[in-house]
Amino acid sequence: MSAEAPWRSAARTDAGKVRSRNEDALLENSAQGLWAVADGMGGHLAGDVASQLIVSSLADLVFDGKFVRHLRDIRQCLHWLNRRLGQELTVTADRKSSIMGSTVVTLLIEGNHGACVWAGDSRCYMLREQRLYQLTRDHSLYEELIFEQQMSAEQAQQHPSSHALTRAIGASVQLNLEVLEFEVCPGDVFLLCSDGLYQYLDANALSRALNMDSPEAAIDRLFANVLQSAARDNISAVVVRQ
Amino acid sequence: MSDEQSLTFAGGEVPVTLTGAADAPRDLTYFGFVPAHDQVQPSQAQAVKEIPRVLAGRYRIERLLGVGGMNLVYKARDLLHEQYGDPDPSVAIKILGEEIADCADASALLFSEFALTRHLQHPNIARVYSFNMEPECQRGFITQELMSGLTLDKLLCERPDGLPWSELRDIALELLDALAYAHAHGVLHGDIKPSNVMLDNYRVKLFDFGLGQSFGGVLPGLARLSRERFNAWTPSYAAPELFDGFGLSTGSDMFAVACVLFELACGKHPYLRVSSDLARDLNLGRTLRRPRKLPRRCWPALKRALRLNPNCRTSNALHLYDAFNAVPVRGVSASFG
Repeated sequence: MSAEAPWRSAARTDAGKVRSRNEDALLENSAQGLWAVADGMGGHLAGDVASQLIVSSLADLVFDGKFVRHLRDIRQCLHWLNRRLGQELTVTADRKSSIMGSTVVTLLIEGNHGACVWAGDSRCYMLREQRLYQLTRDHSLYEELIFEQQMSAEQAQQHPSSHALTRAIGASVQLNLEVLEFEVCPGDVFLLCSDGLYQYLDANALSRALNMDSPEAAIDRLFANVLQSAARDNISAVVVRQ
Repeated sequence: MSDEQSLTFAGGEVPVTLTGAADAPRDLTYFGFVPAHDQVQPSQAQAVKEIPRVLAGRYRIERLLGVGGMNLVYKARDLLHEQYGDPDPSVAIKILGEEIADCADASALLFSEFALTRHLQHPNIARVYSFNMEPECQRGFITQELMSGLTLDKLLCERPDGLPWSELRDIALELLDALAYAHAHGVLHGDIKPSNVMLDNYRVKLFDFGLGQSFGGVLPGLARLSRERFNAWTPSYAAPELFDGFGLSTGSDMFAVACVLFELACGKHPYLRVSSDLARDLNLGRTLRRPRKLPRRCWPALKRALRLNPNCRTSNALHLYDAFNAVPVRGVSASFG
């Protein structure tokens, strides 16, 4: 596989077996080398709208310069969305929660440059030479308890809010995005997904799916697997490979 | 995960570098804003009447442009105009959001917004075309001018230190002209903020009169928000008296527009982005300082418009316009003078 071979992708989103609506949204734009998954914050104001707005705004970005500039544009766009969903939102006085928010994970690839920009617990995985790497670290209380407070995984799991997010678009005045830049190698396969997918599939299942020949086959496999589970959450995945 | 050991975090074996220095966490705050995974909505919950892809058999929705507290704004194509060869059949559609669509008064309020905006014919106020009902999902919607460009909140994200006087002055004059016109024609905006002002081809467009109302006997038959029952605002731009239950006034619009102009001048909110009732309680009015890029002669009028006590807020849109207009752009005054 040459480094110049075009990137192909496939994507799917599904409400899952329990939820009546899908608050996930995804972006698939192989021409621009940009893919994203956004997971609207359930239980809050119009989570589906927040994730859709993120995806449609990212889709509007026009890349015509250098990689670093594109990366800056993505970050700037997400910071703007944070403002739009937070301090610019008209709220009604009687509304219990006026938070409108969403996670986001984006993957940008140009030549051998790759980058993930994310906030929240949607993830990007990479399969390289048969090894699966999780490129993004969740911005969840669970992760923070382990990494910042050195709790064991078991202790952290006990915390009543361990699944709560510590970062998301629209959730606080100051958004801290996390950015990971890396070198892309021929043969790399990427998976962007919401927690509705990864919480039901172990690393072996993810690896086996990403090993399939085409992104479409990988998506079919992932969804077939996850829909055998309880699938209590919305499910979204984007698979990207050359 | 049953097979954690085969997962490797970035920074482990792969040649990756973390480059998030600029976005590194400063103050870590824990939010409990996502329910635990077992709190799911039952699927037997009443099915939501979703917005169809084509509204009223005519407007094909293309993408979401924005969200308000009560409405969604989409870009759409007018299929009828397109059929007759209109080279630019795109419109913006504002439709009631799901949460409010069931309220009996919601469509009447949306119609009020339509009628108030239609009443205003000004080059710096976005135009509305029609008010319609979508029969399938039973929601009212407005078709309006599709603008392209930057809203001021986006501009502020790109220019976090604010704008130089020449740019600020151009925007301020057009915005204040639009507001003075609306007030002179008996219309209060009610929700002026950066995201409700667009720079469309270098022309300012004020839009979203969704919380607006008429006064002085103008358009007397229109429904208006009963603020005793249902109150709405954007906390960083609402005047303090609105939090106390008082109604909209030209003074509350002035407070909001002054906050926007202050922010454009320096990138910072005049009251540290706290809601104005809190700013009043903390006596933040005493800490107000003229933004460095704002000419001294403009400051007294802007400062008056920013007063937290509505009785001291004596600046109106024309006064503020005159104050900004009185200070020329430096290069221009030199060449003429």
